[in-house]
Amino acid sequence: MRRPYSETLLRKIDELASRYPKKEAALIPVLRLVQEEAGCLSPDEEEFVAQTLGLKRMRVREVITFYTMLTRRPLGKYHIQVCANLSCSLLGSATLLEYLQKKLGIGVGETSADRKFTLTPVECLGACDQAPCMMVNTEYHGNLDPEEIDRILAGLD
Amino acid sequence: MDDKALTRNFGAADLHDMEVYLSRGGYAAVGKALKMTPPDVLGEVKKANLRGRGGAGFPAGVKWGFVPQNLPGPRYLCVNADEGEPGTFKDRYIMLHNPHLLLEGIVIASYAVGIHTAYIYIRGEYENVARRLEAAIAGALQKNTLGKNILGSGFDLDVFVHRGAGAYICGEETALLESLEGKRGHPRLKPPFPAVVGLFDAPTVINNVETLSNVPAIILNGPDWFVKQGLPKDGGTRLFGVSGKVKKPGIYELPLGTSLRTLIEEHAGGMKDGCALKAVIPGGLSAPILTSEEIDLPMDFDSLAGAGSMLGSGAVIVIDRETPMLDVLRITAKFYAHESCGQCTPCRVGTAWIHKIVTRMSEGRGEHDDIDTILRLASNIKGNTECPLGDAAALPILSICNKFRSELEQNLR
Amino acid sequence: MVKLTIDDRVLETREGLTILRAAQESGIDIPHFCYHPAFAPEGSCRMCLVEIEGSPKLELACSTPVREGQKVRTRSPRVIEARKAVLEFFLAEHPLDCPICDKSGECKLQDYYDEHGLFDSRLKDAKEKREKKVAIGDKLILDRERCVLCTRCVRFLQEVTGTGELGVVNRGNHSEISTYESEKVANNYTGNLVDICPVGAITDADFRFKARVWFLAAEESICPLCGRGCNIFIDVHPGFPRVLLPQRAYRIRPRENPDVNGHWICDFGRSSYAYLDRGRLDRPVQNKGSRETVLTREKASQIIAAKIRGLMELNKSSRIAVILNTTLTNEELFLADRVFRKGLGLKNIFVADPPEGTADGFLQTAERTPNKRGAAAIGPFPVVPGPGDLASGVDLLLIFGHFLAAQSPPGELKAAFDRIEAKYLWASHRSPLDELVDIVIPTPVVAEKSGTLTNVDGRVQSLSPALDFCSEGWPEWRALLDLAAALGLDRAYFGLLASPADVLAVMKKETAFFA
Repeated sequence: MRRPYSETLLRKIDELASRYPKKEAALIPVLRLVQEEAGCLSPDEEEFVAQTLGLKRMRVREVITFYTMLTRRPLGKYHIQVCANLSCSLLGSATLLEYLQKKLGIGVGETSADRKFTLTPVECLGACDQAPCMMVNTEYHGNLDPEEIDRILAGLD
Repeated sequence: MDDKALTRNFGAADLHDMEVYLSRGGYAAVGKALKMTPPDVLGEVKKANLRGRGGAGFPAGVKWGFVPQNLPGPRYLCVNADEGEPGTFKDRYIMLHNPHLLLEGIVIASYAVGIHTAYIYIRGEYENVARRLEAAIAGALQKNTLGKNILGSGFDLDVFVHRGAGAYICGEETALLESLEGKRGHPRLKPPFPAVVGLFDAPTVINNVETLSNVPAIILNGPDWFVKQGLPKDGGTRLFGVSGKVKKPGIYELPLGTSLRTLIEEHAGGMKDGCALKAVIPGGLSAPILTSEEIDLPMDFDSLAGAGSMLGSGAVIVIDRETPMLDVLRITAKFYAHESCGQCTPCRVGTAWIHKIVTRMSEGRGEHDDIDTILRLASNIKGNTECPLGDAAALPILSICNKFRSELEQNLR
Repeated sequence: MVKLTIDDRVLETREGLTILRAAQESGIDIPHFCYHPAFAPEGSCRMCLVEIEGSPKLELACSTPVREGQKVRTRSPRVIEARKAVLEFFLAEHPLDCPICDKSGECKLQDYYDEHGLFDSRLKDAKEKREKKVAIGDKLILDRERCVLCTRCVRFLQEVTGTGELGVVNRGNHSEISTYESEKVANNYTGNLVDICPVGAITDADFRFKARVWFLAAEESICPLCGRGCNIFIDVHPGFPRVLLPQRAYRIRPRENPDVNGHWICDFGRSSYAYLDRGRLDRPVQNKGSRETVLTREKASQIIAAKIRGLMELNKSSRIAVILNTTLTNEELFLADRVFRKGLGLKNIFVADPPEGTADGFLQTAERTPNKRGAAAIGPFPVVPGPGDLASGVDLLLIFGHFLAAQSPPGELKAAFDRIEAKYLWASHRSPLDELVDIVIPTPVVAEKSGTLTNVDGRVQSLSPALDFCSEGWPEWRALLDLAAALGLDRAYFGLLASPADVLAVMKKETAFFA
């Protein structure tokens, strides 16, 4: 759905684009900013970014589908990503993932009906000394157990 | 170990604050370097035998020296802060706790090579770290240790933070360049090498965060000091990151050459209660696995290579006897299949095929020749791919299947 | 020059070439998918790995330059093993579609499996299911299961046409070729994607399921549909005994010529081949005079020569008009000039051509005939006046080609032609003119001719027949020589000419352009 983008975003995009000899180099940071504001990267967002950076929409789509953090579909308000890699698995991330599924009432890869939570696995977050870890939007949470998870979820409005 | 150049002051509050950093003698290295000539600075780093801390271990000074000084046009420094190698978290700590140390390294490296624009390519998941870096850059700009005419030396340098968006392959230097240019992270053919044709086709140096963070101490204390911190061919300390079934997971700054056993049993507190050691991955998930009998090994590039593994990112993952090797194999296979960029055939198809087989084994439908098939496929990937991710997938899988074959075969019909 | 050894053969080759290219030029084929001579090396398929002495790893032949003293092995055990390994990976993600795939018989994957594979499948798990019939263009069908992700198609649309309609989406083994949403690949060069696709992933919707390629013979010709003169192959089906096929020509493909069309042809030229078989004049049409059961060459030339002589004797040569066209060969235009202008002193020699179009900025020219430059070098041949003007000044009209029919409404043509006493037509295709003239002689099309054509850059290119001329007629050069003989023109000159080659030899002596 076409919507006007905020002044802040537009200014930030201009600033980003000015950092590189070719403004198309700003594509990925710009896509992340646009996604943050728009919720996801729909064809409208692709069109906007393509025009702003002087790119064909096909090139924008190619990039969006390559990177894990860029999404074409809207996610819940809180995107909970549980690390499924080795150090976290060694410390029981599989159990935590099951716990979260039960607690939130959704399966892996799904979004809750009230659009509040999306639950996905994620590759190594780079916080292995605090395994098992999860990321809620951009916040890291480590040394998790069911109680800690309950506490974190309670703090999310 | 008293001279912990990297992690000294890690615990100090607000070291990322410019005032605090300056009050602790920060940016003295930059001041000193800017009074030397660029070739002299380069010479110091070369003599120090500073090898890359990202995984490949290529000598930094030699890499800097590859940049042609006689070509017109810009040159670039890309700081590899993608840190995607599973088990690795050292760069995150440096950037979070001591970002100015990294910035100092960036300034000195750029000065040595004649670079005026540096991009810190930071993985998308490290959002809070990116913000910390940006604040540090703002602080440095304010105090003129970045930007135009740094400390009155006439040397200009812009440093920008560039966020990624979730792709392990972008830790590979040419894929990083592609991503920085706004494209899919597809590694490039080499030659030409980035030092000659890199970012935006200009000569480019790409260095890991930890590598650059070692440069200030080399300038302040001299290359001989640095070499003495480690080994003659592997100067300095490493930030070993220990995780897994140990009592004290965390970062340990120790000399290169420290024994792996010492690292695990003394520094990381040994196995967790009730756990016995089965296997160790010594250098990030891409490093071939070691059995519990193989940990009396000095942690340096050559010793680990000689043992059929690699120092890699220095990320030590400790596995206990209760953990099925099939799980380790499955996680490894899934990771590389998920992260393969898909550009070249052996990796694209091979990692997916191996993952399918291991998944089938995990579901109890493994067949008697599956291990042989996996070994064959991994061997066919090895050496035949466009970038090192192929080997990074193949070598650990080969080592797990070879060294723990009998355990894995228990899962087959 | 650089001297290197490939498979124990010492080769001398130009500096700057890649090993693959150097090998190709010496007749050594190194298998490859993603490499294409028109693009920079890609290095992603990994099929072209070769052994180079001194290098611990196998290297890519497509992107490694030749060096003095290099020793390359393309068939060592290590190379064969790597090749089989890579081939096995390709096959593990490829459907067993050969029985229903149009590419069968000209497919690189088949060829390489035949030469370098011949192993059984060791895949126990399911292959990825992907979409098999995606209409990515009006004439293009994409089968994602067959795609080997060589990205030649993507690179063609970026580097050659600059239109970038295709891209690679997703990552790893989920990667696939795609357009943007429902946008189609739409430019004048989409057909080349079918050629460069090494497997049957991108296929031609027009050719789909029509013929197996091993029944087709690739005949060389030159496209006559614009002034570029692209070199082409016409894929001709010789037919089966007792089975009537609807067409002889099934496909047009580019024939590489670095000086004219490179590796490409435009979609217009590629798709317009129905005219080779459809709407052809099979036999002479006789509307006036005694209808001969079989109108021989001799008889035809006698009739027409008589008409010409009649007017010449009355000093009415100005009442004779000749209309040529620029699809005629250089030899035919030359003979027309020598017979009509020099031989008979006629002044009214015109040209009627298909209408011009727009040049597309690459190969297709605005002029839509193959020999306008030849005509310019031989002529001048001004454009034919309108039918009204033509009729008022002309008693005898000799028309070569049916293009006049499209230039005026039929009523106007008939009105004009009815005022002209005698009219004779030589044409390849049926047209409204057939009913308006006295006699129609069927002629071959460019694809059925011998001779030369001059392209838009002034390049003279040779033709030899790609198809047989099957009608009861004869080529224009034959008709012109017959007329010369029947009119008794300069026997010493015309009498020696018995073929287009003879005519060309004379042209080379007489016209500076063709020397």
